[in-house]
Amino acid sequence: MRKALVFAVTAFMVTILAGGLAAPVQAQEKNPIVVGFIHSMSGAMSMYGISSEAGGQIAVEEINAAGGILGRPLKMITRDDKLNPEVGLREAKDLLLSEKADFLTGTISSAVALAISNYIKRDKKIFIVNISQSSSITEENWHRYIFRIDTNAVPYWGYAPALALGRTWKDKKIVSLGFDYEMGKNAIRQFKEKYLQIVPEAKIIDEIWAPLNTTDFTAHISKIANSGADAFFLSCIYGGGELAFTKQAYAFGLYDKMHAIQPCAGDVETWHGVKKGEPYPKGALATCRYPFWAIQDPKNKAFVEKHNKKAGFYPSYGAMNQYVIMYALKAAIEKVGAVDTEKIVNALENMTLDTFVGKVPIRAYDHQAMMPTWFGIIDFAPNLPFPHIPKAEVVGEESYHTVEQIKQLRGGK
Amino acid sequence: MTLEAAAGQALSGISVGMVLFLIAVGLSIIFGTLKVLNLAHGSIYMVGGFLCFGFTSALAHVPGAFWWTLILAPLAVALLGGLIEILLLRRIYDQDVLYQYILTFGLILILGESCKFIWGVGYHTVSAPWPVEGKIPIWGLSFPVYNLFLIGCGVVVFLGLLALMRYTGLGRMIRAVTYNREMANALGVNVPRVYTGVFMLGCWLAGLAGTLMPPMSVVALGSDMAVIIECFIIVVIGGLGSLPGAFLGAVILGLLTAFGIYVIPKLAVAFAFLLMIAILIIRPWGLMGKPE
Amino acid sequence: MTKRLARTFPSHRLTLLFTLLVLLLLVPLILKASWASLATEMLIMALAGCALNVMLGYTGMVSFGPAGLYAVGAYTTAILLSRYHSSFVLAVLGAPILAGIVGVIVGWFCVRRSATYFALLTLAFSQIIWTVIFEWYDFTGGDNGIVSIPIPEFFFTISYCYYFTLAIVAGCLTLLWTIVQSPFGKTLQAIRENPGRTEFIAIHLKRYQLAAFTLSSVFLGVAGSLYCVFSGSVFPDYAHWVKSTDMLVVCLLGGFYHFAGPMVGAMVYILLSKLIAKQTMFWMFFLGAIIIFLVLFMRNGIVGFISEKLASALGRASESGAKEGSR
Repeated sequence: MRKALVFAVTAFMVTILAGGLAAPVQAQEKNPIVVGFIHSMSGAMSMYGISSEAGGQIAVEEINAAGGILGRPLKMITRDDKLNPEVGLREAKDLLLSEKADFLTGTISSAVALAISNYIKRDKKIFIVNISQSSSITEENWHRYIFRIDTNAVPYWGYAPALALGRTWKDKKIVSLGFDYEMGKNAIRQFKEKYLQIVPEAKIIDEIWAPLNTTDFTAHISKIANSGADAFFLSCIYGGGELAFTKQAYAFGLYDKMHAIQPCAGDVETWHGVKKGEPYPKGALATCRYPFWAIQDPKNKAFVEKHNKKAGFYPSYGAMNQYVIMYALKAAIEKVGAVDTEKIVNALENMTLDTFVGKVPIRAYDHQAMMPTWFGIIDFAPNLPFPHIPKAEVVGEESYHTVEQIKQLRGGK
Repeated sequence: MTLEAAAGQALSGISVGMVLFLIAVGLSIIFGTLKVLNLAHGSIYMVGGFLCFGFTSALAHVPGAFWWTLILAPLAVALLGGLIEILLLRRIYDQDVLYQYILTFGLILILGESCKFIWGVGYHTVSAPWPVEGKIPIWGLSFPVYNLFLIGCGVVVFLGLLALMRYTGLGRMIRAVTYNREMANALGVNVPRVYTGVFMLGCWLAGLAGTLMPPMSVVALGSDMAVIIECFIIVVIGGLGSLPGAFLGAVILGLLTAFGIYVIPKLAVAFAFLLMIAILIIRPWGLMGKPE
Repeated sequence: MTKRLARTFPSHRLTLLFTLLVLLLLVPLILKASWASLATEMLIMALAGCALNVMLGYTGMVSFGPAGLYAVGAYTTAILLSRYHSSFVLAVLGAPILAGIVGVIVGWFCVRRSATYFALLTLAFSQIIWTVIFEWYDFTGGDNGIVSIPIPEFFFTISYCYYFTLAIVAGCLTLLWTIVQSPFGKTLQAIRENPGRTEFIAIHLKRYQLAAFTLSSVFLGVAGSLYCVFSGSVFPDYAHWVKSTDMLVVCLLGGFYHFAGPMVGAMVYILLSKLIAKQTMFWMFFLGAIIIFLVLFMRNGIVGFISEKLASALGRASESGAKEGSR
């Protein structure tokens, strides 16, 4: 026992000394503006982390090549949140305290984003969300220092598919299948809300739920097939689960039997490995957050090329968002003339971002950038080897919750 | 729900169950004979999936690539299992279940990261091969032929293993070692070799399941974590070490899923755990296991 | 109790302990704030590890589900503060109480069985707790967790939070130390060594095991509550079996045959995770390798390993004799 204590003390002292002495020697060049980037860099969702980081680094390189911001170089420090809010929070604290980050960005996991948001609220630092979709981040749990430059679950999973369906097939009997968690439940609720405004006679005849991370949808698909609906709607089924569902549904001939509303199918990251002749969401109505093939702006084409070179695959919407975020920060800092958090918040609130996906205003009430969502039918087309939306239409601000709706959610404030 | 729909749903449930059986049976055998709770079983299954993708891609221009893969990939996984058993697992037999749990947890991390290193972070798919692609109308439902093929595989594997255990010399040796290791050893059975063999068999089964799954599903990181708890549930309900028990447990879980989504979707997951707890308390050796 | 405390602490140990305490008190003053934050996390994990160790190291009960009780503690504090607007003191006191109650109920079922079945039962219960937290959106916030918990502003300052955590953890550890040094603790160790014989001397096995389980749960609840105060938010993954595995690794890493083992384990584990993750995208590989190395070659953990090496190096045969009696 004594030995244990000796060891404990020694170890502790060594740790303290190591920590204290290993204070990073600040390269005393021009004092950089530091942006912390926390994302899922390992594990199942790391494709998005890697892609977003690449997008951000491209922006950093471009900005620094053009002289930086206010004469200071821009620096982005990446940390892995391991899809775990405890770890994400720890990294956020470390970035702000040790690395003296001026801003934080990132995350794909809404839990991590909420944890970080809660923390920076009291530390009064800006956190810009680049993928996390939960609408509560900018609605119920909004505060002054949180921004989101990305779509959120309301347009992407709910309103945009509703608008899209209203402009195309106008199906009356719909059955839904969703992952059994909060976003899944919210998505179907919001889809219903918006769609019933457009097609009042429509009905969601059944809601089927699968546990999160299911990959065997055989039982659920046979229930959908027997439901007698005109269309099925996938609520928040994404990534590996979506790929598995598509294969199984295709094998059941579900895509021939009824219409498919599959929001996430528009994001091509899932289909990179799928070749012609293999199962894909045939003829599905999908929404997409970044149809890079459909955007004509030459800056977009340059971005796609740079991303391909850096990461080895096509850019995801996370990459595009992070790129826009860096430029947004640049614009805000230059407008204010200094790295002053309060003034930058004000500047961002009233800003319209000039991006290669169009002019995107940041709404002051919820600090949500009105990033557009595209929709269309999934098909193969010669320009790309994998299935995508060849003809994409766009919806903008009308696909978000209105300020009135958010006010209600916040309890009338 | 019409009778036809119910029958169709039951068929789907059995399909789900057979898939689960194929994945879980290896764990049951390993636990039965080696008395090791192999937390990394899901990861070995996942390696099987990635190898399936790897082999089918490498053999893409060879006709019948998938069938060659079906032979090669599980063998590769079995070899990997043999390595793991000889180098690592041997040292913790008869140790506290804590060490097995933590060692195999470390294996999960290593195997998962190795897959990520070799095959990257994206999703991969494998097509259903001829002649089991396409669909057949059954009971008013367009049922995929591949799922029927999987049901067939599950039954064949089950019967094959039963036959192995009951009628072959190897099976007798395995059963002898399972019931009484010391006695078997005294009677001249090379126990360590049997142990290695059984572990390799369990891994072969996991690899087989991993190879059979991609045509109807997806090869992705994280699939190991998703299946391991279900495997535990099946093996506990059926009985740790019981082959018919694993079959029964898997079918129960499959049908529970298929009809649970009609009745109590929310609590279907918790129900499986409650069943597991009930069995552990009332009849810990499972529905078809033998009390120790 | 003080007399017993004094008896278990001969003077040289007291000096060491005192030094340690002084060093701990100085942490926020001599180190950067991010280290104080990390140290707070280490303290909380150390408490969780020591709580688990009451079951694991002292009674020989391997539980796969400590994270469930930890989450119960965290969520109790979170829900009392955010939903019922209770006072801070009540919220923090409520955590160990509720964790203890849940621990008694869960434990009663689990101790019906032993070894592997016991472990599987704890896993199943822990997953049920996870499922309940995940599904019961209206009460627990479901998979969104609970954020913006109204913690008193006092704790926003990292050093204050650190000192608060240090005080509570030190108090709990002292309490735990007293308990395991008492006759009750000796009985637990006897159960670990040879349950059959212990039963033979008229010790009601299941009752002691249940007591150990409950004790563990109470202090796991405290740890969970402390983490809730520290981070200001709670999530269902606090109850996930992977988190349980973290705690088990912490105990194993430090050495679960020593009281101080989990403390060392917590420190090293958190530090290692942080350092390795900074270096490589494949940090989980190295963590897995370290874990396997631990199980194969350092089964008594760091503290055990060092103890053995020191003992043999110093060649003090008497030390090993003293070690038997002084634990």
